[in-house]
Amino acid sequence: MPLVLKIAWRNIWRHKGKCLVIGLILFLGAFFMTVGNSIISGMNAGLTENIVNSFTGDIVIISDEQDHNNVLLDMMSGKPLKVIRNYEAVEQVMDDALVHAFLPATAGVVMGLEPGAEMITYMLLGVNIERYQQMFPGNFRVTEGRVFNSGERGILIPELVRTASYEFLDYWFVPQGESLVVENLMEDAFAYKHSLELRSDLVFMGSSHSGSFFDVQVPVTGIIEYRALNKIWGNYAIVDIESFREAHNYVTGADSAIEVSEDRLDLLALNAFDELFDFDDLLADTVVEGDSFNFEELQQAFVREDSPLDLDAGSFNLVFVKLAEGVSQKDGLAHLNQVFSDNNLNVRAVSWQDSVGLIGSMAVMVKAALNIFVMCIFFVAIIIIMNTLSMAALERVTEIGMMRAIGARKGFLKTMFLCETGMLSFFFGGLGIAAGVTLVYFLRAANITTENEILQLVYGGNSFHPILTATDFLIGVTELGIVTVLSVLYPLRVVGKIVPLDAVARD
Amino acid sequence: MSVISVKRVERDYPLGKTTVHALRGVDLEIPEGSFFSIIGPSGSGKTTLLNIIGCIDNPTAGTVSIDGEETTKLNDKQITDLRLHKLGFIFQNFNLIPVLNVWENVEFPLLLMKTHRKKEIKARVEKLIAAVGLEQHAHHKPAELSGGQRQRVAIARALVTNPKIILADEPTANLDSETSHSILKLMRDLNETEKTTFVFSTHDPDVLKYAKSIVQIKDGKLVHAEEEVI
Ligand SMILES: Nc1ncnc2c1ncn2[C@@H]1O[C@H](COP(=O)(O)OP(=O)(O)OP(=O)(O)O)[C@@H](O)[C@H]1O
Ligand SMILES: [Mg+2]
Repeated sequence: MPLVLKIAWRNIWRHKGKCLVIGLILFLGAFFMTVGNSIISGMNAGLTENIVNSFTGDIVIISDEQDHNNVLLDMMSGKPLKVIRNYEAVEQVMDDALVHAFLPATAGVVMGLEPGAEMITYMLLGVNIERYQQMFPGNFRVTEGRVFNSGERGILIPELVRTASYEFLDYWFVPQGESLVVENLMEDAFAYKHSLELRSDLVFMGSSHSGSFFDVQVPVTGIIEYRALNKIWGNYAIVDIESFREAHNYVTGADSAIEVSEDRLDLLALNAFDELFDFDDLLADTVVEGDSFNFEELQQAFVREDSPLDLDAGSFNLVFVKLAEGVSQKDGLAHLNQVFSDNNLNVRAVSWQDSVGLIGSMAVMVKAALNIFVMCIFFVAIIIIMNTLSMAALERVTEIGMMRAIGARKGFLKTMFLCETGMLSFFFGGLGIAAGVTLVYFLRAANITTENEILQLVYGGNSFHPILTATDFLIGVTELGIVTVLSVLYPLRVVGKIVPLDAVARD
Repeated sequence: MSVISVKRVERDYPLGKTTVHALRGVDLEIPEGSFFSIIGPSGSGKTTLLNIIGCIDNPTAGTVSIDGEETTKLNDKQITDLRLHKLGFIFQNFNLIPVLNVWENVEFPLLLMKTHRKKEIKARVEKLIAAVGLEQHAHHKPAELSGGQRQRVAIARALVTNPKIILADEPTANLDSETSHSILKLMRDLNETEKTTFVFSTHDPDVLKYAKSIVQIKDGKLVHAEEEVI
């Protein structure tokens, strides 16, 4: 064994008490760092699995006219999302090596129409259901009824929305053609199970950008429950995209079949209003540009046809994008935004975190809090170890000064000190990491679940699944190394300042 | 030519608002191969002078040369190496490495030098431990030794590198007269065979019998010029 190591090793045994204190701190530091890091990893993986893979993709594309980015969970503004004007052109550039899959959709808040009752709002996601289930397979399960078919009218009501509807409006959604499933009733409703008002369709009203309102009636085909984060995502009912478009006066797939533009639809809306309220002058002021169009023909288009529609031909207000394996979100965002601006597409790509607004930033905050916690452990460990080591150095002034006097260089003594700390760090830190790994293992096995929204964010889903990857392990070891080096820096300075004279100095 | 050359060395210690003048202009030339004794009452400056010669302390004024090299001009590494290769120390408060046993303490400077083979190291350490009569205690830690035994370990450690100069601050202060004599004899032998220069401070009149030259210090000043005793 090299001389320095031998002396360092024996010094550890000579100063057992101090070494135990340092060791304990290193142990706890390494332990909490390991557990903290695996919670962060678990959260990341959970959020990726439960939000990225199930709800939003990595990136969301929205119109450049959209003033804010949190398009999915911003219930305050009440303004409808801006339509992507040139979706076809956007679709063309989505054939990109960095893009794994994409799904155009519409999202927005609509008002339930309830004569004589209070207003209730619904958050709707309008999708081509076939493509939706390919993009986000298995992200919900049907608890009652069925998923509407592609091209069919229908809405899937989440349990959370059904409960809310009962609480506010006193009726209970039951899918069309299905009977009441008593076991699924909420406790409150259970008592009234015989006199319950059942509903099998939803009438809602959206607004166009020109301020006109359109109401649509959609049959409820199924009740669903999302696989995770129900409390957060469960507000979103999934509706067939054509119904959504009609309620918002977007260009529908049916409109596209006869080539009508957004502007003209607004005009059409004006016309309808005009007939109702007799606003002759308003119509007179409207200048019709381009080819003249046949109003009759347009109205016919509103009558559903049996022939299958191209659901992807109408308007969208957002596109969910999953990036190819290994592409970082940062790179994906930069690349897509570059492509969009190069092609003047008037859309922008935003991160999923931004698209879910508060939830995204809360996830970031929770992560930051966990990180700060780990940092604090770091910091406290460094301070305490630094102090203890400096005191140890000062206690050994005579001994160290004598070694200097008989020819040991500063470097030798610093190495000796570093070895002492290094060995402690290796042993106790290693134990701490091992204990952390064990705890993580048990936590995973325990399969803890929660209904609490905040905890769901910490867990990254409904269940607590901290993850310890090889990278995390390496990060843990590196952090331990950094703590060791940082905490020994000052004590090493103290050692470096000890001079041979200290060996003979009188007390 | 003198192996140690001390010129107009002064050493002041600030002590509160006053200053202690521990050395007040010391001039001293010690030729190679001397067996040199510094005597003087307690507090006269013996330890201070030895520390300055051994580059453990720096003079407030004046210069010190060891083997022709002015030590006051060297940097820390050079001074450390000079101490390792040319000087051996025996401290007044015998100072050992507590975690190493007798053998390892003696071996320590040789290992630092990194210039000797294992066999050579073993032979030397063995010889010196035998010379100071500690064969039976080679594997004891300093804490398990008496004061005199520790002092002998310190002596063996100072001698093991075969330095040009050995500085010893009251080397026999804690030894019984028999051990004192054997150690002084050992030093004299080394002095004669290896031409090692010995400089030591002492109170002990017995020790003075062995000294070839003696200088007396009082209140930080040399009283006599060195005189040949033998
Ligand atoms: N670090 C210091 N601070 C203040 N004064 C000091 C210091 N070291 C030595 N002195 C003073 O310098 C003077 C010389 O001290 P030194 O230790 O050299 O004496 P000494 O001859 O070795 O005495 P002794 O025989 O008792 O060992 C003394 O008056 C002492 O008090
Ligand atoms: Mg003294």
